[in-house]
Amino acid sequence: MVTLDVNYFRDLETPRLARLAPNLVAAAFPLMKLMPARYILDRAASDGELKAGSHIVETTSGTFGMAVALLAAARDYRLTLVTASTLIDAKYKARLERIGATVIALDDPRGDGNQPGRLEHLQEILAKEPDGFWTRQYDSPGNWLAYARLAELFIRAMGKVDCLVGCVGTGGSLCGTASFLRTVFPHLTVFAVDTHRSILFGQPVGKRMLRGLGNSVLPKNVRHELVDEIHWVGAYPAYMTAHRLLREHGLFMGPTSGAAALVAHWVATTLPDAQVAVIMPDEGHRHAETVYNDDWLAALPGWPCEELLEPRTLTTIAPAAETQWTRFLWLRRSLGEVLKMQAAGEGPPVVGAPENL
Amino acid sequence: MAEAGDLMSREALRSLVGTAVAIAHHGELIQGVFKDDGGRLHRGLVTLPIVGLRSEASFARSDDNAVVVRPDHKVKASAAARLTLDFLNVTGGGELTLQSSIPVGHGYGSSTADVVASIRAVAAAVDVQLRPSSIGRLAVAAERASDAIAFDEHAVLFAQREGTVIENFGGSLPPLLLVGFKANGGVTVDTLQLPPARYDSAEIQEFGVLRALVARAVRLQDPYLLGRAASASALISQRHLPKQGFGEIAEIARRAGACGVQVAHSGSLFGLIFDLFASNLKRRAALVAQQMRRAGFKDVEVHLVNAEGWTW
Repeated sequence: MVTLDVNYFRDLETPRLARLAPNLVAAAFPLMKLMPARYILDRAASDGELKAGSHIVETTSGTFGMAVALLAAARDYRLTLVTASTLIDAKYKARLERIGATVIALDDPRGDGNQPGRLEHLQEILAKEPDGFWTRQYDSPGNWLAYARLAELFIRAMGKVDCLVGCVGTGGSLCGTASFLRTVFPHLTVFAVDTHRSILFGQPVGKRMLRGLGNSVLPKNVRHELVDEIHWVGAYPAYMTAHRLLREHGLFMGPTSGAAALVAHWVATTLPDAQVAVIMPDEGHRHAETVYNDDWLAALPGWPCEELLEPRTLTTIAPAAETQWTRFLWLRRSLGEVLKMQAAGEGPPVVGAPENL
Repeated sequence: MAEAGDLMSREALRSLVGTAVAIAHHGELIQGVFKDDGGRLHRGLVTLPIVGLRSEASFARSDDNAVVVRPDHKVKASAAARLTLDFLNVTGGGELTLQSSIPVGHGYGSSTADVVASIRAVAAAVDVQLRPSSIGRLAVAAERASDAIAFDEHAVLFAQREGTVIENFGGSLPPLLLVGFKANGGVTVDTLQLPPARYDSAEIQEFGVLRALVARAVRLQDPYLLGRAASASALISQRHLPKQGFGEIAEIARRAGACGVQVAHSGSLFGLIFDLFASNLKRRAALVAQQMRRAGFKDVEVHLVNAEGWTW
């Protein structure tokens, strides 16, 4: 079992590269988080930090948990995942438990994912476990370093890459891929995709309808200085674009992939001479009974909404409705710098990155 | 190395003299550590070959067991001849004569060229044509670390301390013009005295990206991508074996519209890579060569790669 390990999981983590337009290539992942999870575990094992039979812990409700669970099961590690009751459904919890993970779902009265509470609980477990290993997807450099492989795959498929579009949650995939692509293509324009009421790019915290991107705390792996433009996509346009991906391209992806595709199609249309790469993190199976279920959708207030062809450009960072898609010219600044200028009532310069291309 | 163990007896060919050549290189396009299919790391490089400089070897077989080499300080070439005779299961020895136009100690691969020419000459004397992969393995056995010149202008990612191919890029490098020169006042470097560079995690991950660029560049014959890879590898090399004037050279390259900057990772050579089919190339390259001389760099020369009769 262990001898097959390296190749086997490397194949599972490899995305299909689909050309969605003459100048747009998507990396459609079955389960993107296998890439950082495998890299982090491999490194920890070779450093001696992770020993045979160690107890792995992580705070996640999402696909990183599934990735670590698959690896932990195949490699005989124990695993505890700490999540929030609002973020995990019974079926996903059962899937994780079936492969041996212990899932602890904490209460979430504010509906923001209760990340501080989850971290506290995780620390309590670590304090009791001398052989504990925390994968730290929020802060571990392994999370972004792993994505050199994605940069390689894009380069082998596309050659020069001019624009990169991807969602931000921990920052690993977008910032990792961007930093490796930029070492060889310094002109690379990076479009980050977030959602309204996620705090990552300066919005006030609040209840988010679109899950799998955005955050209520700020991970170290989010490196704002790499980002040229930030887009906030609401749940409705993300769902609608996910449907379109299936209808027009045969890609059955999760709603965060829909959000990324919405922005990527707009970038590719706006900049027809640029080669655009977009990251699509996971498949639609987990959302079959929600995003891909007409009864569930029909119960959403105001569904379906009007299809959006372009974002609304903001000069002041502010949340918007779940039907909305907004954009702000970040221009490779730090979060502190942008917030200071916002507080002083100064907007970004009029000319943004795409117009410069 | 026992594949050739049951070769037929070559008594009838005993009197043959074999001659062969091997070309030099201008350092490497990329050099670092790379993952194999099993995820293990290997030191590896992609050589930048130049046909203008070469080593010629001739080998005359004799019944005497000794291999005699001229000039007599070329002991690695002599060792390579002996290893090749053993590999081919041939008894006796011979006289190995080398003549080379390749300067020593700058990263042109003078030593490997001697070794590869010698291996080929011995094989020719026995009327055998060796595969590049076998020549590469014998070269590493003879001199501990070797470059990929056994593959001539065919692009491979070569494990220089193991003699194996990590990735065969499946074609030749695109046609290039190289404006080459020496940094650090042209002081020579003893390759084998250099400690192997220790790369950090980010560098190791970046090498995979550079390898992808070379693969794409070879597949689509794209000198721009090759230049991007070379520049990034040169920048990493600068952190391990710094060369004087790097920033200035990068700036001249940028202004001249070069595809990239390339270095000998264990030598003093620098090269500015140009697309051989770029417009106005002769005038631009001449201008850059002049700027380099004025900036004080030594031995500014123009080399052609896969130029197919194109003349400078």
